[in-house]
Amino acid sequence: MITRRKLLTTAAAPLIVPSTVLGQRAGAVAPSDRITFGGIGIGARGAHVLSKLLNVKEARFIAICDVRNERRETIKSTVDKQYGNRDCQMYDDQYALLARQDIDAVLIATGDRWHTPLSIIAAQHGKDVYCEKPCSMSIEESWALADAFRRYGRLYQAGCQRRNGANFMLCKELLRSGALGKLKTLYANVGPSVNWPPLPSRDWLAAEPLPPRQVLDWDRWLGPAPWRPYHSSYVSGGWRNFHDFHGGGILEWGSHTVDLCHWAADLDDTQPVEYEPVGSNVGPYQVNCRYADGVRLVMRDNGWEGALNTGSCSFRIEGDRGWVETGDQTRIECSDNIRPLLRPTESARLALENHVKEMVQCVATRRTPSANAAAAANSHVTCHAAFIAYQRGKTLAWDTAKAQFTNDDIANRMRSRALREPWRI
Amino acid sequence: MLQAPTAVPAPQPAKPKPPQPPTQFQEGDIARMDAAALVGILRDPSASEFQKAKACVRAGELGAREAVPALGALLGDEHLGTYARYGLEPITDPSASDALLAALPRLNGDRLIGVIHSIGKRRDTRAIPQLVKLMLGTDADLSAAATAALGSIAGPVSARELTAALAGTKGPTRMAVAHASLVCAERLLTDGKRDEALALYTTLTAPDVPKPVRLAAMNGIIREETSVGRSR
Repeated sequence: MITRRKLLTTAAAPLIVPSTVLGQRAGAVAPSDRITFGGIGIGARGAHVLSKLLNVKEARFIAICDVRNERRETIKSTVDKQYGNRDCQMYDDQYALLARQDIDAVLIATGDRWHTPLSIIAAQHGKDVYCEKPCSMSIEESWALADAFRRYGRLYQAGCQRRNGANFMLCKELLRSGALGKLKTLYANVGPSVNWPPLPSRDWLAAEPLPPRQVLDWDRWLGPAPWRPYHSSYVSGGWRNFHDFHGGGILEWGSHTVDLCHWAADLDDTQPVEYEPVGSNVGPYQVNCRYADGVRLVMRDNGWEGALNTGSCSFRIEGDRGWVETGDQTRIECSDNIRPLLRPTESARLALENHVKEMVQCVATRRTPSANAAAAANSHVTCHAAFIAYQRGKTLAWDTAKAQFTNDDIANRMRSRALREPWRI
Repeated sequence: MLQAPTAVPAPQPAKPKPPQPPTQFQEGDIARMDAAALVGILRDPSASEFQKAKACVRAGELGAREAVPALGALLGDEHLGTYARYGLEPITDPSASDALLAALPRLNGDRLIGVIHSIGKRRDTRAIPQLVKLMLGTDADLSAAATAALGSIAGPVSARELTAALAGTKGPTRMAVAHASLVCAERLLTDGKRDEALALYTTLTAPDVPKPVRLAAMNGIIREETSVGRSR
């Protein structure tokens, strides 16, 4: 058994031998050097992420797990076609996929309710994880996620790809350089309430006959969500806007835009101390938040294209000397004094490609990814706290050290959800 | 709440109209009921499964200790068991822990696993003897759940039992014990029991401990021994 003293006194940096020294052609990637991925729950969004991963020569996708046989077949077909073979293995049981010693990392793109439990299980099996947002369904899950990845020393990249978008990076740079002056207010577009109202429904849809299990395993599809009768609409994407499957409108885009605000302003290790909800569940709404140092965060429904038509998932930074605002259309709007400092950036569309590449590089080098579990936890706790304030219809005060609300016991009881047995976090 | 600012959202892309919940599956007034009314639903034999499910969750949000007996009675229900736990878990009154503990001997299968999870979440040390029995039992799923709960409960007694189990078990049980021990060690640190935590971490660095746990334990030692706040 290794003693603590021995561990601390003999730790040394690993010796790295460049592959070219071993005679490998520069630019080529030996099969043994490729990062191998498996995928769990690859639907429409996951397939889009996968399409970027399949173009990364340092990575290889070798296995897919899904409760729906149609999705398993579709992904296998896509992957096999890309590689020109039939090697992609299919699983309906995530444990079988995670047990494979030849898989380094997993791409998780299931419904939101699965994101935290599956990510933690993957970490326990020694895998690094790329997980689509939102990363958690509750404040409790957010902390559990960060704890697990710190505990097991595994890497986690949340699907918050705009951290690798050039236009977003330029806005961050302008803040960091002092061009915008002292930070005053951050604005996160939390998306159109007509698509995703801040308060998802707690109702059930009418029961439909269960499909055959080999087509869809409803029990597995539900996973950690409380039981409800089957309806095909949930499975075809209609699960959003139901409380048991979805964290509501604030989280839907806030997991991107609040995350951007935190990242740009170096707030990845904290959350606001005050949340004031404004508006109703129908129509424009916002949540006014304040950090301990007085900086404000405004989560607001600015519609799909944002207040200045900069595109979806827009965010804005206001300092005492200037402001910038940008979104998925790449264009940056700004105060007049900032305009001379702007430069052309690559399209925001490349953010996902960069984000996926970063993940692969981090798995290889063990560098911490930009959208890591700790950062994701803090941005998600912020969104969940705002969601709770909206449900309570009152201003809530939050103690960042104790991770609890200080003025509402009901709000504190809403920090966690029970997971349907046998699942746990 | 204040009045919303008058922002004008951009036109939305067209979407097909989603199906609407039927009347009998709409939460409606249940969302605004007080504890007494919610208990009324939970006790009413003619109330639907949907109504009881919603009442369970809302009772939990209210922290309604008067709902505990009715919630406890639902722990064995195939569909409502989760909702009953949803209600019990956040109720801070000790009667919620009593109800979960009392359910241990009368449940089995997934319902029992769910109750074990809730007991672990509430960190009820009174459950330790029963959890140890389940940990060392023959049902692999129950064993895994009980072991995880022991890790979550943590404290010196759990730590002692997990350390003994690490030496005395093998296969999947030992794997579960190893993972639970990591959680236990973290909680010991949070509770200020540094020496006990580091001793547990050291035990987990043995070469026959599963690799993810062994590495995590080494990380835990390094993290704690190099932390700024450690005593010198």
